[in-house]
Amino acid sequence: MNKIGYWGTNSCKTNRKQAQIPLIKPLRKGSIVALSFLSLFFVSSCNPFSPGGNPKAFRVNLGTEPPSLDWSLATDHVSFNVIANLMVGLTEFDKSLRPAPVIAKSWDILEGGKRIVFHLRDDVTWSDGKKVRAQDFEYSWKRLLNPKTASEYAYILFDILNAKEYHEGKIGDEALLGVQAKDDSTLEVKLKHPASYFVSITTFEVTYPQRQDIVEKFGTKWTEPGNIVTNGPFLLASWQHENEIQLSANPNFFLGKPAVEKVQMFMINEKTTALAMYEQGQLDFIDNHSIPILEKQRLSKLPGFQRVPQLRGYYYGFVIDRKPFDDVRVRKAFSMAIDRSVFPKVLHGGEQPASCWIPPGMLAHDSRIGLTHNPPEARRLLREAGYPDGKGFPPVTLGYNTDEDHKIVAEAAQGMWKRNLGVLVRLENQEWKVYLKKLQTEPPHVFRLGWGADYPDPDNFMKLFTALSGNNNTHWKNPRYDQLLELAAKEFNGKKRVKIYDEAQKILCETDLPIIPLFTTAESTVLNPRFAGLEYSPMGRLMLRHVRPSRTEDGR
Amino acid sequence: MTRFLLTRLFHGLTVLWVVVTLTFVLMRVTPGGPFDRERRLPPEVLANIAAKYHLDEPWLKQYARYLNGIFRGDLGPSYKYLDRGVSDIVAETFPVSALLGIFALVFALAFSFPVGICAAYYHSSWTDRWCLLIATLGISLPHFILGALLIWLFSIQLGWLQAGRWEGFTSVVLPTVTLGAAPAAYLSYLLRSTLLETLAEDFIRTARAKGLRESAVLLKHALNNSLIPTLTVLGPLFAALITGSFVVEYIFAIPGMGRFFITAVTDRDYPLIMGVTLVYTVILVCANLLVDLFYSLVDPRIKSY
Repeated sequence: MNKIGYWGTNSCKTNRKQAQIPLIKPLRKGSIVALSFLSLFFVSSCNPFSPGGNPKAFRVNLGTEPPSLDWSLATDHVSFNVIANLMVGLTEFDKSLRPAPVIAKSWDILEGGKRIVFHLRDDVTWSDGKKVRAQDFEYSWKRLLNPKTASEYAYILFDILNAKEYHEGKIGDEALLGVQAKDDSTLEVKLKHPASYFVSITTFEVTYPQRQDIVEKFGTKWTEPGNIVTNGPFLLASWQHENEIQLSANPNFFLGKPAVEKVQMFMINEKTTALAMYEQGQLDFIDNHSIPILEKQRLSKLPGFQRVPQLRGYYYGFVIDRKPFDDVRVRKAFSMAIDRSVFPKVLHGGEQPASCWIPPGMLAHDSRIGLTHNPPEARRLLREAGYPDGKGFPPVTLGYNTDEDHKIVAEAAQGMWKRNLGVLVRLENQEWKVYLKKLQTEPPHVFRLGWGADYPDPDNFMKLFTALSGNNNTHWKNPRYDQLLELAAKEFNGKKRVKIYDEAQKILCETDLPIIPLFTTAESTVLNPRFAGLEYSPMGRLMLRHVRPSRTEDGR
Repeated sequence: MTRFLLTRLFHGLTVLWVVVTLTFVLMRVTPGGPFDRERRLPPEVLANIAAKYHLDEPWLKQYARYLNGIFRGDLGPSYKYLDRGVSDIVAETFPVSALLGIFALVFALAFSFPVGICAAYYHSSWTDRWCLLIATLGISLPHFILGALLIWLFSIQLGWLQAGRWEGFTSVVLPTVTLGAAPAAYLSYLLRSTLLETLAEDFIRTARAKGLRESAVLLKHALNNSLIPTLTVLGPLFAALITGSFVVEYIFAIPGMGRFFITAVTDRDYPLIMGVTLVYTVILVCANLLVDLFYSLVDPRIKSY
């Protein structure tokens, strides 16, 4: 914020904070755009990798301060990126995005999927030497569900017997919850209904075990270095808020000590500054937090550059109980008028155009599903609906939250609708929180939203549009769709599940079309060639466990 | 004197109360709440969160609760940084902003006095024009342009100074200059114009006629009598500089408090918005009080008390 207030007189000063609030967004945006422009010619002529630095220390930019390292309370990917390197849970997802054993060596699915028993390894230890026991999971899950914890992710375990009732306060006794440690190495989970995706949920950080003694001893300060007790590849060595987190390799990690001794995680907000630091050799890895949009193309030629497709869908939704989008033909026409291949060309981020909803890489993804670019057919449908060449089409609005990328996408869509349908859609944008509120109170006819996976199962994506989903802003309901999702949840045979999801996706993206899926996003990453082995997951997690100095470095 | 201080204390507290109340009301009428997410939370989850932070209570009760907290020195929990309270956050970040602000103020003063005096003394000469040009640049270049330019020149091209983060001398220089540039230029302008006026006064002619050395005329008689406007702006300037600047802290990755003036609002982190606003107001009130006390030192004709 530019503190220009002091040019004024004393008496105006006290109201300054309020008076500036509406100016804030444009100012910040403006500065970022200007910086991106400047950075274009700034960084074009310097030496990318100056030598120096300890190859055993690995330096990354988190972008911002992690709001919480308490994995029952964390909600954002910055926090999870730190936690994922401090902790491991029952399972983690493998290359094909299926849950693979970590602390759980195996699990039995009993009673048609209503009861799951996890068998735990007995050689996993906490950083203070104590064994990781099934009771630590029981405590963590109960803490997540406890109404007093007020965890935003409590609902992720609502499939557990009595979990929702306990969280709502209808059941006071936590012993009635369907999660129980039978002994030190057996965890039994009873579910309300069969859920084939439940094991996938245990890959998610909020289900990682916790130490009751530590949490109760230190209260909200239990995540500070010195207090926190973890079980993962790295230990929390220091945490200077808003500045830097240091991790050190855990010599007793049960899957082997990581190759880098130390990790420094910086919190640099400004992308241009972070990129300058990478090019000066002060950072070893950068991702979208550190790459200005205008630099993406130049960086894509650097050694160590990689685009990682993300399980994150970007869509436009229709509010379907309002004219003119109550007519499915109009919705179809709007979808067919869009050429999705345009988006990667204007955004430069490696986006993958998508006409289906389940993202590539996930079970049941099928790129053949969905309506593709077909302007003549779109025009025909619009004519049938009573708006030949867009004549008589009521004024409609496309809403998005204020952001450069969203604006580019909206303008591209607006252009294609005008060109192919003769309809001029008005664009409207608001600051993020105002926009979210508006979606509930007075939504625009068409709205932009995205969805990222918490756990890599299609259930997580498809459930968004059920009749009871709190995130279904379209007001669309289809009993058959809801029924299919219930069937898929009960189905443990992969092939049969895919078939069910295919049918559901066809309803969503071909026949009823409450949404237009546009594309899935990708993360642009650059790893200093002095290092290898970094894994950036499709869920946006930065896994540093296998990072090591690259071979050329060893041979030097 | 005591009476004066007591009156000012009373005024200060009134200002604080008005600011707290206005901020409280404005925060709550702004659309969108702290827990509105892209992934909308189920109602039962939201209800538990609201209960935890007492957001389910009527406004008046929340307001009373907050005022009560302030009196006990508790600024409440942050809705975003869940492991820390607002008091912790302010205690950790304010010293950084304050230090940077003091550096910037010292820089501004060290720059503006020589430049302002030279410009006024060599009025309408090339020296004056150069000084004016530099000052105009300082005022008109926004922080984010100046900061980016300095990073480009001194860290990327020359490699002398660190581009970001707050660790040691090499990381302090660029943010100090960026933050101090505008006040330095503004103070130079102010000093130049008031000095010009003073130099045209009769008592200066008298001093010269008495045969005093030029340096004594300029630095003693003229300068002393031109300080009032500078002092007036120094109070608010000081308060603004030491509470941190969003842009400068953002560009140079400095762990200061200034960023929260923006991010707390976009996050709708009500207690944090209140906390930083409160700190800023307290410092502003104190700085203005100090300035009033200094007036009488510089010019005995002005009696504050």
